[in-house]
Amino acid sequence: MKSRFHTVLVLSLLLVCSAFGAAEPGGNGDSIQDMQCGGACHGDASINETSSAILSLSSPSTIYVGIPTTLTLTATNLETSSTRLIGLFLLTDMTGHSDTPQDAGWEILSDANGGTMNYLEQTLTPGQNETSISWVVRASTLGSTTFYAAIHHGGGYSSPFFGTTTVGFEVSVEPVPENLPRLAADFAPPTLRMLDTPTELNIETQFTDSIQFEWKSDDGLISNSFVNSTGDNSWTTTIPAALQPTTIQWRVLLEGEGPEQTTPWFTLAAEESSWEVSENAVYLQAFALLFMTAGIVIALQTRFTSKSSPSKYDEAPLVLEELALTDTLPPSQEIATPPRPVAGLPIGWTEEQWNTHGHDYLAGKHGGGQA
Amino acid sequence: MISSGTFHVVTTELVVGAFSVAGLSFTLCLLLHLGVLKQPSWPPVVDHVAHFTLAFGLAATPFAILSGLSSAPGEGLNSPILVNKMFLSMTGFGFALGCLVSRWRLGNKVWSTTKSAVLHSSSGLAAVGSMLLTASAGGTFARGESLLDLFHLPYEEVLLFPVFISVTGLLLGVIMLVLSWKRMNPSSSVH
Repeated sequence: MKSRFHTVLVLSLLLVCSAFGAAEPGGNGDSIQDMQCGGACHGDASINETSSAILSLSSPSTIYVGIPTTLTLTATNLETSSTRLIGLFLLTDMTGHSDTPQDAGWEILSDANGGTMNYLEQTLTPGQNETSISWVVRASTLGSTTFYAAIHHGGGYSSPFFGTTTVGFEVSVEPVPENLPRLAADFAPPTLRMLDTPTELNIETQFTDSIQFEWKSDDGLISNSFVNSTGDNSWTTTIPAALQPTTIQWRVLLEGEGPEQTTPWFTLAAEESSWEVSENAVYLQAFALLFMTAGIVIALQTRFTSKSSPSKYDEAPLVLEELALTDTLPPSQEIATPPRPVAGLPIGWTEEQWNTHGHDYLAGKHGGGQA
Repeated sequence: MISSGTFHVVTTELVVGAFSVAGLSFTLCLLLHLGVLKQPSWPPVVDHVAHFTLAFGLAATPFAILSGLSSAPGEGLNSPILVNKMFLSMTGFGFALGCLVSRWRLGNKVWSTTKSAVLHSSSGLAAVGSMLLTASAGGTFARGESLLDLFHLPYEEVLLFPVFISVTGLLLGVIMLVLSWKRMNPSSSVH
C-alpha cells in the first residue's frame, strides 16, 4: 500500500512538472506559425494565461493590389518573464488553422527581423513595456481582408501568456491606378546579405522614369545611394558593406507619369558568412569514431571475459578437481589387494605382481587364463 | 508524405526514449552486479530490457541522423553544432554496437566478473550519454537552449582531426573488430 502511494505521488509530481515545463522560455525562432504555433511554442493552449498586452494594427489608408504595403503592430502594456522575450503573430483568422497571411492570399516580402515570417520574436530592453513591429506585405487579389495580431510571452512562475487583438483590423485592397510608378509585380526584395561585402541590389519597376534609393541604419540616419539604370525599368545600386551583424532598412522613391510613389521600408539583415568545413573529413572522422569505439569495447570485453571463462572444450578444471579428489581419498578407500587364488599364485607370478595386476588376472584380461 | 523535419522529430524521440530506458537499465545492472542493489530476481530482467531498448534505439539512430541532416536549414554541415552532433551520434552508435555485439557473442559471460560487468555497463551508459548529448546539441541548434546548458558544453567548437589520423583510427577500429570477432569464435582444439 505504501509503495503504491509513493508511485502515485511520483507520477503526480511528474504530471505537474510537465505543465510547468511546457513553455519554451528560450523562444521558438522566427517562423511561419498558426495562432498558438500549433502547440509548438507553449505546449498546449489550455495552459496559457491571458496576456495584459494591448495590441493594435495599422496600415496606410490606401492599399493597391500587387504593390507592397506596410502593416504595423503596436504592443503596449507588456509584462514579460525574466528573459523579456515576446513572440508576435500576424494572422488573418482566429480559428487556429489556415490563419497566416499566406493562407489569405497575402505575401510577406519583409519582416522586421530580416526575414519573411509572420511570427517574430523580440527581446525587450529592461523597463521597456511597449514595442512596434512591421511587416511589408503584398496582396494578390482585390477585396477586403481582416488581420489579427497575437502575442506569446512568459511571466511569473514560468506561466505562459497569450493575447490577441480585441477586434480585427480590416483592410481593403483596391485596383492599382493606370501608369502608377511601382515595383515590378514579381519583385522580391532580398532579406539577407553577408558581412564585409558591399551589396549590389537590382530593382525592377513598372511605369517608372527615375528612382531614388534611400537606406537607414539602426540610428535612423537616412542616406542615399547612387542608382544606375541598367535598362528599361531596371535599376541597380550598391549598399555599403556591414561590418557586424545588423539590419538596415531601404526604400525607393519612384517617379514617372503617374503620381510619385514611395515604397515601404524593406529590412535587410547582415549575417556572418556561413560556417564551412570539409564534409569528407567530417564523415571520415565520424566513421573512425564509430569503428574505434566499437572495436575498443569489443576488444576489452573479449579480453576480460575470456580470462574469466574457460572454453566449453576445456576440461582441465574438471580433471584437476577429480585429481584433487583422488589425492584426498583416505587409505581405507584405496583399491584392495585381489584375493589370492585357492591354488596359489599363478606360475611365475611374484607377490608384488599379484598385488598390482591380480585384478586383471581374475577378470581374464591378463594372459588369457583363468584362476 | 511528412516533412523531413517531422520525421526527424519522430525518430529522435524514439532514439532518446529508447536510450533513456537503456541507461536506466544499465545503471540497475551495474548496481546489481556491484552488490549495491540486492534483488536476486532483477538481473535477468534489467539485462534483457537494457539490451532490447539499446538495440531498438540503435535501429532508429541512422534514420534520426539522416533525417536530421536533410531537415537542417541550409545545405550540408553548415554549423559546428551539426558536426558535433554527427560525431556524438556516431560515437554513441559505436558504443552501443560494441555493447550489443559483446552481449550477443559472449552471452551471460559479460556479467561473469565484476571487471567485465563494469565494462559492459559502462559501454552501454557511454552510448546513452553520447546520444543524450546529441539530443542536447539538437536542442541548442533548433531552439538555442537545452537542459544541459548548465554544463556550458562547447558545442560551437569542433575537434576535427587531420585526414590521416581519421584514416588510421578507422583502420585500427576495423582491425580491432576483426581480431576481437575471431577471438570471440575460437576454433576448437577437439576438431
